[in-house]
Amino acid sequence: MKCRKCKAVAAVALPSHNTAFCPDCYPDFVRSQVERAIHRHKMIAPGDRVLVAVSGGKDSLALTLLLHELGHEVHGLHVDLDIPNSSTDARAACEGFFTKLGLPLTVIELHREGLAIPLVKSRIKRPICSVCGKLKRYYFNKFALENDYPVLATGHNLDDEVSRLFANTIRWDRAYLSDQGPLLPAENGFARKIKPMYRLTEFEIANFSFLRGIDHVIAGCPYSGKASFPIYKGLWSGLEERMPGAKVQFYENFLREGRPVFAAWSDQQGELPTPCTECGYPTSAERCGVCRIKAMVADDEK
Amino acid sequence: MINVRLEPEGRKVHFPKLGTVLQLLKKLGLGNNAALIIRDGELLTPDRRLHAGDEVVVRTVTSRG
Repeated sequence: MKCRKCKAVAAVALPSHNTAFCPDCYPDFVRSQVERAIHRHKMIAPGDRVLVAVSGGKDSLALTLLLHELGHEVHGLHVDLDIPNSSTDARAACEGFFTKLGLPLTVIELHREGLAIPLVKSRIKRPICSVCGKLKRYYFNKFALENDYPVLATGHNLDDEVSRLFANTIRWDRAYLSDQGPLLPAENGFARKIKPMYRLTEFEIANFSFLRGIDHVIAGCPYSGKASFPIYKGLWSGLEERMPGAKVQFYENFLREGRPVFAAWSDQQGELPTPCTECGYPTSAERCGVCRIKAMVADDEK
Repeated sequence: MINVRLEPEGRKVHFPKLGTVLQLLKKLGLGNNAALIIRDGELLTPDRRLHAGDEVVVRTVTSRG
């Protein structure tokens, strides 16, 4: 197989694009996909400082590198979950990577908030993955707003987005379908959120990370065994093998044809989040989910 | 013999003979875009040939959490 651009021996074959690239030309393809996403959805305005949520995995570290190389002012934010045999490596990968690039990184330690994930897991009956996701989103948003970052970027890729859309579609969850997309504007106590990697699959990002020498964590979270998203990702991988391009078609067509319908329905509902009575961050209840989790853990500690 | 290390689990498997990367992927029950295939620090596309004595890393790409 030959590189589409220079005809050297290819290192990466991309059936969904019906093409292949050599190690030198492949990063240009990835960069162009990210640039196109940023441009098409007007994700970053000139001069915007970008807060990047980083986990230590390939996607968020690759996003950091790409945004930095595209000339954006980047600040990393990592939430240390305090999970044994996992969090130390994840944090070290983030710290090593940001030091190497000479970029600022802030680490929020959940154990200092009384919310170390093993402790929360032992106190809460709900699936820990959804609770962990809620906590991370809360602290990312809080940090962005309190430190005047106009935009919060995450490393969500096409596989993440398609599996999430698929899960929401299986349930026909109109509320979630109304605001799923690569750009969520700043409103009602939420920072602007962007997903510049949404046009790239995990495979495409893994190849980029390897070729650019990004030292990321490879092992998965030890608590993720019962998560449902890997099941959906597996289903979609099988479909993509048989129908290259199905993932991007499903997602892009939803953005064009489906989301506006659900967004219009959502607008009619007129239900806006209100400030949490304890922390002031947005919630659909009186007290937000994170404050409720904190209270539950604290009650059990007494 | 072709020696294969599976990541992230670290398990090792050996195959007496394999023609191409595509055959390796099929033996492992993996799709073309499910894993990076690495030999001597180089990425291999499914059409590349494998040879006796090759040390190959198969790194699955699906992130979990």
